Amino acid sequence: MSKPKIALYWCASCGGCEESVVDLAEDILQVAEAVDIVFWPVALDFKYEDIEKMADGEITATLINGAIRLDNQEHAAKLLRKKSRLIIAHGSCAHLGGVVGLANFYERRDILNRAYKEVPTVKNPQGILPEIKTKESGRELNLSGFHKTVKTLDQVIEVDYYLPGCPPTPELIKNAILAILNDELPPKGSVLAEKKALCNTCSRRESKPDKVRIKEFKRLYEIQWDATRCFLDQGIICFGPATRGGCEERCIKANMPCRGCFGPTDNVRDQGAKFLSALASIIDSKDEKELEKIADSIPDPAGLFYRYSLASSILRGKIGTV
Amino acid sequence: MAERIGVFVCECGPNIKEAIDLDTVVTFAQGLKNVVMVKSFNLLCSEAGKKLIEENITKNNLTRVVIAACSPREHEHTFKKVLSNAGLNPYLLQLVNIREQCAWVIKNKTLATEKAKAMIQAAVERVIHHEPLESKDLECQMDALVVGAGIAGISAALTLAQKNRKVYLVEKSPVIGGKVALYEKVFPTLECASCVLDPVLDKVLHNEQIELLTLSEIQEVLGFFGNFIVKVKKNARCVDTKTCIGCGACFEVCPAKVKNEYNEGLDERRAIYIPYAGALPNVAVIDREHCLHFQTEGCNACQNTCPFSSINYEENDEVQELRVGAIVLATGFDVFDPKRAPRYGYGKIDNVYTSLEFERLLNSNGPTGGKILLKNGQPPKKIALIHCVGSRTREYNEYCSGICCMYSLKFAHMVNEQLPDSSISEFYSDFCLPGKESQGFFNNLLDKNGIEFVRVKDLDSIKFSEKKGKILIQYKTINPPSSTLLKGGKRGLQDKNIPETLKSDPFDMVVLSVAIEAAKDAQDLARIFDIPQGKDGFFTEEHTELSPASTIKEGIFIAGCAQGPKDVQSTVTQGQAAAGNILSRLIHGEKLVLEAITATVDEDLCSGCKICIGLCPYKAITYNSPESPHTPLWKRGAEGDFEGDKGGFSDKKENLATINEVLCRGCGICAAACPSGAIKAKHFTDKQIFAEIEGLLNTNYAKTSKMSLRGTG
Repeated sequence: MSKPKIALYWCASCGGCEESVVDLAEDILQVAEAVDIVFWPVALDFKYEDIEKMADGEITATLINGAIRLDNQEHAAKLLRKKSRLIIAHGSCAHLGGVVGLANFYERRDILNRAYKEVPTVKNPQGILPEIKTKESGRELNLSGFHKTVKTLDQVIEVDYYLPGCPPTPELIKNAILAILNDELPPKGSVLAEKKALCNTCSRRESKPDKVRIKEFKRLYEIQWDATRCFLDQGIICFGPATRGGCEERCIKANMPCRGCFGPTDNVRDQGAKFLSALASIIDSKDEKELEKIADSIPDPAGLFYRYSLASSILRGKIGTV
Repeated sequence: MAERIGVFVCECGPNIKEAIDLDTVVTFAQGLKNVVMVKSFNLLCSEAGKKLIEENITKNNLTRVVIAACSPREHEHTFKKVLSNAGLNPYLLQLVNIREQCAWVIKNKTLATEKAKAMIQAAVERVIHHEPLESKDLECQMDALVVGAGIAGISAALTLAQKNRKVYLVEKSPVIGGKVALYEKVFPTLECASCVLDPVLDKVLHNEQIELLTLSEIQEVLGFFGNFIVKVKKNARCVDTKTCIGCGACFEVCPAKVKNEYNEGLDERRAIYIPYAGALPNVAVIDREHCLHFQTEGCNACQNTCPFSSINYEENDEVQELRVGAIVLATGFDVFDPKRAPRYGYGKIDNVYTSLEFERLLNSNGPTGGKILLKNGQPPKKIALIHCVGSRTREYNEYCSGICCMYSLKFAHMVNEQLPDSSISEFYSDFCLPGKESQGFFNNLLDKNGIEFVRVKDLDSIKFSEKKGKILIQYKTINPPSSTLLKGGKRGLQDKNIPETLKSDPFDMVVLSVAIEAAKDAQDLARIFDIPQGKDGFFTEEHTELSPASTIKEGIFIAGCAQGPKDVQSTVTQGQAAAGNILSRLIHGEKLVLEAITATVDEDLCSGCKICIGLCPYKAITYNSPESPHTPLWKRGAEGDFEGDKGGFSDKKENLATINEVLCRGCGICAAACPSGAIKAKHFTDKQIFAEIEGLLNTNYAKTSKMSLRGTG
């Protein structure tokens, strides 16, 4: 009997999710033994044509990381959707838009201008911007089209499961693959991590007082932090309460507050708005002026509250851009 | 199964019909998904209208109802009943307010029609997600709590105490009777205060329905009208109230002397004491802060002496949990401290007293046995009574304390009686003598010798200094000739006709008529009972004219000077009024219908982040930490009060927030704050609200108003 076929693909991402697969270390050998990896552009030399030749649904599961911004990403995602029984959005960008989704705060034109004209390290005196088709020395060059906005994977194709995280932990990836192989998957649409928010398992939870109230928001460098005490109790914004657990608290253990890469829990539709609402509830003041001052002590609130989830939020980005 | 939604549109006579094109609205609603019938009607809230809805629910097998009519405040209740009558859960209704929000505010008929369409679409989208909710009911707690055993609290308690109704009377001091028990006589009758008060106090002590908790303070209050849970700390008296007869043998041997606060510090008491002769209950109390047994562990003098073995040093403070249906706060007042206004020389010049100190000097149980004496033991020849000390001045209290004129006149009566050869000067700027008794009380003094009324232009300009052992008062008088003074019928002093004269006179004794102020612990009490205070610190009544004895918190009433300065008569009236409010509303056999729209915690989602803890205005949320998995009873509430279930309380899970459904009023604050969506506010779920918003925005009205949300979905 032939082994189940697995494909891995990347779209608009940093490559960290690929790294997370490699981070399986020795376990990857087990995976390689149990499955046939039929497509993995980062590591193996297969072509699109190889996929195109496959029958629909021939691939058992495809893990796609990265958000969708380019034509070829959308094209590949759709192709893989057709050929795969299961599509797993792998990592924050595929799941929620991730950090690349923050581009939705800007217009397409502004992004191109910035990247190709204004950045000090770019020399482009003619102000040439990338085009889909360019004629040069009698030849035609083709580039993938740059979409108006960044989309999450499930805004482009149907997604069966989500592996959250920036990047997901090797443990979660391994568990997901094992669940696929053993046919032990939860209901479709599930996020393959914990159900509860991070606070549930946080090593600092015992230090949290019964009533958390914040008088001033601080950043780590501004205070004499206590590496054992709940960040929120120290006035440091930590997304633990609003973020799905399962990350093994990698950031917390390195004394960095959570930024929400695992996304919201099941009942929450807009992680940023939800956490904003929670934080607003625990600001310790009733005075309008003081409240304004406290709120102002958060630099770049939009970028902070939607660090990983802008493209998946209700507004999806800045109004007018999306 | 697809939902079957019926939409009913009310014409509200001409109100809606003329402002909105209802034919268009009806046609539009007929085209909406899941809508199986649409009807408009002249007046849906009429009997015929209600019948129409009820019949159509049955006839069309409706599973959801949308009614486009007036404000939910006006008729949601009416229409919910109609659904119930038709066998449909009343929460499967969504009301659309096309009268106040469309017909009455939009002049352009097309726009009003478009908005009505959008709102109906929103309601149709929302109502699909409605869940049937059940209201639970709870047996009302018939018992009542009265805080403060002064004349206000006592009046309330005696009115409340009836068969089947227990009253807990909580008093922080060891005695009852409050301030009135410290007075010798009361105005305007000049009756002896203890003759008025003692029989009443006796009734309290012997009333089997009244449980008196002296030396007790309220620590926490949970719940709402019909169902309050109150935590009371009962401080140890260290004397057995059952065996002590108040013989006084113990305080004679007590070596520790303390300034006697019941005599305003004018003399001393012992560390074991009875506050004053005739104090009720007539039982000694140990002041542990000053008792040598507790401070040095050496002394057992009182225990050794007590003929009844009533002294128990081992008695501990106790915390008691009371379950009551209503509460009366009758926590009294404190007086203005004249040291805050140094010009009166109070605390610096001898023989300057506050009115409360003077009450004690007049009192036969007071430090001088009721004799008016100077520090040197001699009776004063000239006494000055200064009105409005700390009252009617923007510097301290803007309000008039209302009783000072009358008690100053009472003092004049009493001094005149005891020292007929001494002179009394009342320094005033205005007299406050309202009511049917006061003017007569004043007029009686005018016929007596030795009583002088000095009208001062500006009370704040009076200067006090010490001169040769006497108190020199310098003032500007605008006294009219005494023959024209305010006597019945001769009103209307014309200030411009009265010459100002600068005068100075020496006095032996000065009595300052100090303002009544909010009790020093009023702020703590306001926090504990969660009721508002006015700018002066008194508890705020629900409505100044119409509900002076209730607060905005249903079931919590106020009486006496805790609500504002007043005399004994008004205090008693208000105490009885507060009790009457309770008696008329807390009725035996009546059940309290609990809010069906409550919040719940999904235990599978709650991460125990504690964001919600402390936000609940009803204190319905508790956090079960692993150290104390067993939440103390007083935090849990009405366990077992529901019939047939375990009281609406979740099993105690560690590291989780739990919401007490008996206390929850469904305000939604916790649901908005819960960062992981673990708290759900029933009837206002995200699903319902988002569906409503989407229904609203996905219309022409929203699109033309440029309100649409992009990319939703």
